[in-house]
Amino acid sequence: MKRRSWSSSGRSVPTAMVRWRSFAVNFKKAWLLMKRYPFNLLSSLLTMYLIFLGIFLGVKYLGGTSLSAVDTLEGIIVGYSLWTLSIFAFSDLSWELTNEAQMGTLEQMYLTPAGFAWAQAGYLIGDLLFFSVFEVAMIVLMMLTTHRYLHFDLVSIVPVLIFTLAPAYGIGFAVGGLALVYKRIQAFFQVVQFVLMGLLVVPVNRMPWARLLPMSEGNALLRQIMAGGRSLWQLPGQDLILLLATGIGYLALGLAAFGWAERVARRRGLLGQY
Amino acid sequence: MGARTDVALAVAGLHKKFTKRHKPPVVAVDHISVEVAYGKIVGLLGPNGAGKTTTIKCILGLMEPDGGEISVCGYDARRQRAAAMSRVAAVLEGARNIYWRLSVWENLEYFAGLNGIGGRDGALYFQQLLQRFGLEDKKDTTVLELSQGNKQKVAVACALAKRTPLVFLDEPTLGLDVETSYQLRQAIKDMVRDEGRTIVISSHDMAVVQDVCERVVIMANGRIIADDQVQNLLALFRTREYLVKLARDLTREGQEIIQEQFPQAVITSDGHDPSVRVQLINGQDIYRLIDVMRQANADIASITQEEPDLEKAFVELVRKERANGNG
Repeated sequence: MKRRSWSSSGRSVPTAMVRWRSFAVNFKKAWLLMKRYPFNLLSSLLTMYLIFLGIFLGVKYLGGTSLSAVDTLEGIIVGYSLWTLSIFAFSDLSWELTNEAQMGTLEQMYLTPAGFAWAQAGYLIGDLLFFSVFEVAMIVLMMLTTHRYLHFDLVSIVPVLIFTLAPAYGIGFAVGGLALVYKRIQAFFQVVQFVLMGLLVVPVNRMPWARLLPMSEGNALLRQIMAGGRSLWQLPGQDLILLLATGIGYLALGLAAFGWAERVARRRGLLGQY
Repeated sequence: MGARTDVALAVAGLHKKFTKRHKPPVVAVDHISVEVAYGKIVGLLGPNGAGKTTTIKCILGLMEPDGGEISVCGYDARRQRAAAMSRVAAVLEGARNIYWRLSVWENLEYFAGLNGIGGRDGALYFQQLLQRFGLEDKKDTTVLELSQGNKQKVAVACALAKRTPLVFLDEPTLGLDVETSYQLRQAIKDMVRDEGRTIVISSHDMAVVQDVCERVVIMANGRIIADDQVQNLLALFRTREYLVKLARDLTREGQEIIQEQFPQAVITSDGHDPSVRVQLINGQDIYRLIDVMRQANADIASITQEEPDLEKAFVELVRKERANGNG
């Protein structure tokens, strides 16, 4: 028998419908809130572009001939784009939890019969999708600025990108869990941003062990696809397996840490407190 | 206790203790048991720190109790959480529970959607809610632009939009003006009458609780110190206290005569609303009171029997609990 939820209309709501609507309204909320803060979004994008411009001009005028290798500059565009996306992925959840606790809406999200994770997934996926649209525009702008053009093989990019960003979400869940228990940890967010940058500049070719670090393998593979023009099918199978393993592994670790923090917060009565 | 299907809410032996390093543990909820029947409005009262919010949060699964059983509309709230949560909604921190950057309608859609309510059926119901709360013309207004009273109404409407049989309202009328408070109370009463909802109201506003609730549960120091119908509690504290309003001040001699016959009498005779407040022991005393007033040459304007209110009953109960060494 299908599980159903109760409604005062006299009709019960199937559990699948509860999950779908819970996911859908959070997806829509991501869009509405992004739409309501246009200046915030535009200023973030402008800042991102200006930072890239600074890196580009610095490399061009100070780096000298070392930049003559065409793929280096294209690699910078890929790496920079991935860094901004990973910061977004990591911070979206941890900031969101802090904000929801501050606004007093976090406890309401925990009351959904669909479960907090289901509801939050709708928001995170929606937010990432909408942000990705702006990210693509940003990449186009970076390409126009540098006159270097990347390969946009979406069939190859999307799956690799998903498993590359999964560890960033894992870190986001772990830090979000800390925010649930310890509340004011914004300063820690800044530290994580620089850690993420470090992970994306690790030379995995010279340091094979570094491929086990979060996002490092995915970063290398995305460079091969977008800057090197290789397709998903041309990538070594063992590299893809490592990408899957690190992606799922770090996400699972992050979720486990979040689960632990959630239990502590429930025990101490900290959910929703700020 | 198994999951109870005959009542909307059943709590048995619920207890919760907070422990902090180097500090003695604080017992927030001390083995309380309470039941709420379907279609009733029950008030949950108590001074600050009595354990009301902790109790509500334990019922809602937002806080892990140390022990006890909770049944929400026939489902074990701890073991069958999803089923139990689809039957309960709550306003926990008044207007803080909603998104101020979203419109009234967007908030309704969002919070109802968390419980799977939406579509055409949902929209029709949201429209009814807006009418009931007098918010039709604010439908597309962002909550940020609303008055405090309307924000509060939206928060309550969002909880009701989930169409759950059990609803917890924590301080629903906090900071509202008299008219908005009245509208909100009326809307709550209508929802119970028309839809058979069960509502638990936690509030410090005794007038609201007395107006809306049939029954009150009073907590102090984590325990339930009274659980009865409002009328029974009022009867418990009904005294034979009379207020005699005077047309003019009493003379000194008059005051002495009254004080001699009724030593507990409170005489106000300073030019502003002169009166004598006196507690009588039995029914015959009213005639003696009138005789004494005549002897004191008092010019009686009116005599009324003072009715106790919930606030008085509440204060007396909590005071008694403290006097018993439990506070």
